[in-house]
Amino acid sequence: MLQSAIDSILILVVLLNLAMLATSRMAACIRTFALQSLLLALLPIAVGIRHETTPGAHLYVIAAGAVGLKVFLIPWILLRVLRTGEIHREVEPFIGFTSSVMLGAVIIIASFAFAKRMPLPTEAPTDLVVPVSIATLFNGLLMLVSRVKAITQVLGYLVVENGIFIFGLLLLEQTPVLVELGILLDLFVAVFIMGIVIYHIRREFDHMDTHLLGEPREV
Amino acid sequence: MAILLILVPAVFALVCLGLPAPRWRVAAMVVGAWAHLGVVLWSWQGQLEPVSDEFLGIDPLGHLFVTLISGLFAAASLHFLGYHRRALLSQRVFLACMLGLLSALSVVCVSQNLGLLWVALEASTLAAAPLIYFHLGARALEATWKFLLMNSVGIALALLGIFCTALASMGGGADISLSVKELVVHGANLDSAWVRAGFLLAMVGYGTKMGLAPLHSWLPDAHGEAPATISALLSGATLNAAFLAILRAYQVCDAAGLGAFAGRWLIAIGLFSMAVAGVFIVGQRHFKRLLAYSSVEHMGILAVAAGLGSAASYSTMLHVFHNVLYKGSLFFIAGLLGQLYGSYQIADIHGALHRYPVTAFLLLAALFAIVGLPPFGLFYSELGILFAAGRTGNWWVLAAFTLFLCVVFVGMVTAVLPMAFGKPDELTNPPDRTGHVEQWRHAVMATSAALLIAGGLVLASYQPTSVRNALERAAATFAGPQSSSRVAVCAPGEVLP
Repeated sequence: MLQSAIDSILILVVLLNLAMLATSRMAACIRTFALQSLLLALLPIAVGIRHETTPGAHLYVIAAGAVGLKVFLIPWILLRVLRTGEIHREVEPFIGFTSSVMLGAVIIIASFAFAKRMPLPTEAPTDLVVPVSIATLFNGLLMLVSRVKAITQVLGYLVVENGIFIFGLLLLEQTPVLVELGILLDLFVAVFIMGIVIYHIRREFDHMDTHLLGEPREV
Repeated sequence: MAILLILVPAVFALVCLGLPAPRWRVAAMVVGAWAHLGVVLWSWQGQLEPVSDEFLGIDPLGHLFVTLISGLFAAASLHFLGYHRRALLSQRVFLACMLGLLSALSVVCVSQNLGLLWVALEASTLAAAPLIYFHLGARALEATWKFLLMNSVGIALALLGIFCTALASMGGGADISLSVKELVVHGANLDSAWVRAGFLLAMVGYGTKMGLAPLHSWLPDAHGEAPATISALLSGATLNAAFLAILRAYQVCDAAGLGAFAGRWLIAIGLFSMAVAGVFIVGQRHFKRLLAYSSVEHMGILAVAAGLGSAASYSTMLHVFHNVLYKGSLFFIAGLLGQLYGSYQIADIHGALHRYPVTAFLLLAALFAIVGLPPFGLFYSELGILFAAGRTGNWWVLAAFTLFLCVVFVGMVTAVLPMAFGKPDELTNPPDRTGHVEQWRHAVMATSAALLIAGGLVLASYQPTSVRNALERAAATFAGPQSSSRVAVCAPGEVLP
C-alpha cells in the first residue's frame, strides 16, 4: 500500500514535469512547481515509514524544510516578482511547447533506459527513484535552456534541484541534516537573489527577456 | 582553528553591515581581511593535527589553499582602498558580501565533508553575485545573471555527483558518510560504476565554477564587468576553490583505484580549455576579458596537471600557488590602468611606459610572470608538468600542451606589449587627475600589485624548505602517498634533470 503510494507519487512527479513544459502561463507554471515540491516533500516520510515503523526526527525536519521553502516561500517570491511586471506568459520560447513536451517524453524514456543499465549497489525504496530523478533533472535543464523569460529559467533551475532531491531519497540515512538544511538554505538564498536580479532586469529593460540583454559585443 | 578561520570574516561582515559611516565600513573590511590572514599565519605555527572531526578540519591541501586565498584577500582589501570611489550599489552590502565570500571560501578549504563543501561553494557563488553587479547597468546585469544561473545549475550537477559517490559507498555494508577521509579509507569497497558517474558529474559541475571550457561562457562576462578588485578575487580565489573541490573528488576516485580514469577526463577537458582560451586570447580587444581568458587557460593547465596524477602533483600545487599571485596582481594593475586611461580597451591604452613608468613596469613584470617566463614561478611549474607528461609517456598531451602554451604566449604578449610601449596618444588622453588624493589612491593600488609580484618572485627564486614541504604535503594529499614528486619535479633552485 505504502509502496504503491510512493510509486504513484513519483509517476505524478514525472507527469507534472511534462505539464510544466507544456504551460505558457508563468503563474500556472509556478503553482505546478509548488505542487510537485509538495508531493516530493511527502516522500522522505513515506520512505522512512517503510524502512522502520517510526521515521526519525530528521526526516520530518527535512520534509518540513522542503514544504516551507519550496511549497510556500519560493513560489510566493516568484509570484510576487511576476505580479510586479506586465508579462505573464512565456512567448516565443527557443523550443516550442509541443516540441518541448515531445523532447521531455524522449528524455523520460531515455532515463528509464539508462537507469536499467546502472544497477544500484543498495536496496532502493523503489525502482522508480533513479529514472524519475534523472528525468526530472533533464526536464528541468530542458526548461532552462529552451525558455527566454528569466522567471521560467529560475523554475527550470528549481526543477533540476527537485530531481536531485529525488535522488537524495536513496541516501536519507547517509546525508547529515546539517548538509540537507544547508542545501535548502542555499536554494532559498539563490532564488531570493535571482528574484532581486530579475527585478533589476525589469527596471533596466522593461521586460524579462534574457536573450535581449546586453548590447552587441565581441567575444 | 578551522572555526576561527570561518568566523573571523563572518563577524567582520556583520560589523560592516552594522557600522554607520562608509569610511568605517571600508576600514572594517580591511581589518577583517588582514585579521583572517593573521589567523591563517598563526595556524602555520606548529604541526597540523590529523583531522578528527567529520565536518571541519585543516588538512595540508586545504591549508595551502586557504593560505593563498587569504593572502589574496588581504592584498585585494588594500587595492580596494585605492580603487573604491563612489558606491553605486549599496556599499554596506558590497563589503559584507566581500567578507562573506572570504568566509564561504574558508569553509570550502577546511571542510572535510563533501556535502558541506558543496554548500559552502554554492554560498560563495551567492556572495559573489552582488559583487559583480557593483557597476550597475545592462551589461553588469547580464554578467550577473549568467554567473548566477550557470554556476547554480552547474553546481547542482556536482551535488548529484556527490550523491552518486555516496551511493557508491553503500554497497560494502559499512556505514560511510560523505566525509572525505572515510571515503578514501574505504576506497577499495566503493562501487566503481557509481564512482565514475559521481566523478564525471562533479567534474562538470565544479568545472563550470572553475571556468573549464566548454562551460566557461559566464567567466569572461563576469570578470570583464566586475570591479577589478573583484575580478582578482574571482579568478584568484573562487576558481581555485572550485579546483580544490575537483581535487577532493579526484582524491576519492583515486582511492577507489580509478585515478587513471579520472585523469584521462581531466586532461581532455583541461587541454580543451587551453585551446579555447588560446583562440579567444588571440585578437582580444578588451583587457579584462583577455585576463579572464588567461584564467581559463590556467585552469585548463591545472586540470591537465591534476590529471597527470602523482607525477605532476607537486607542479600542480606550485602552479596554483603562483597563479594566484600573478593573476591577482594583473587584475589589480588592470584596475589601475582602467582608472588612469578611463577605458579597458586595449587599443585605448598605449605608451604607459612613458606616462606611468611604475605601473607599466609592474604590468610587464606581471605579464612575463603569467605567460611563464623565468625567473617567475609559473615557468617552473609548467616545466614540471611537461616533464611529468613526458615521464608518464603522454606524448600527445605534451605536444598539445606546448602548442597551446605557445599560442597563449603569443596572444598575450602581442596584446599587452603595445600597452606598455608605443607612443602616448595626446588626443585621446582623459583629463589628467593629478590631485593629491588621486596619487595616493594610485600608489596604494600599485603597491598591492607589487606586493604580490614581489612575493611570487622571491618565492620562485628562493624557496624556503617550509614552503616546499607545505607544497609537497598538499600534493601528497590529493595524489596519494605513493607520489614520487621529489623525482618528478624540477624545482626552483635545483639543477634541471
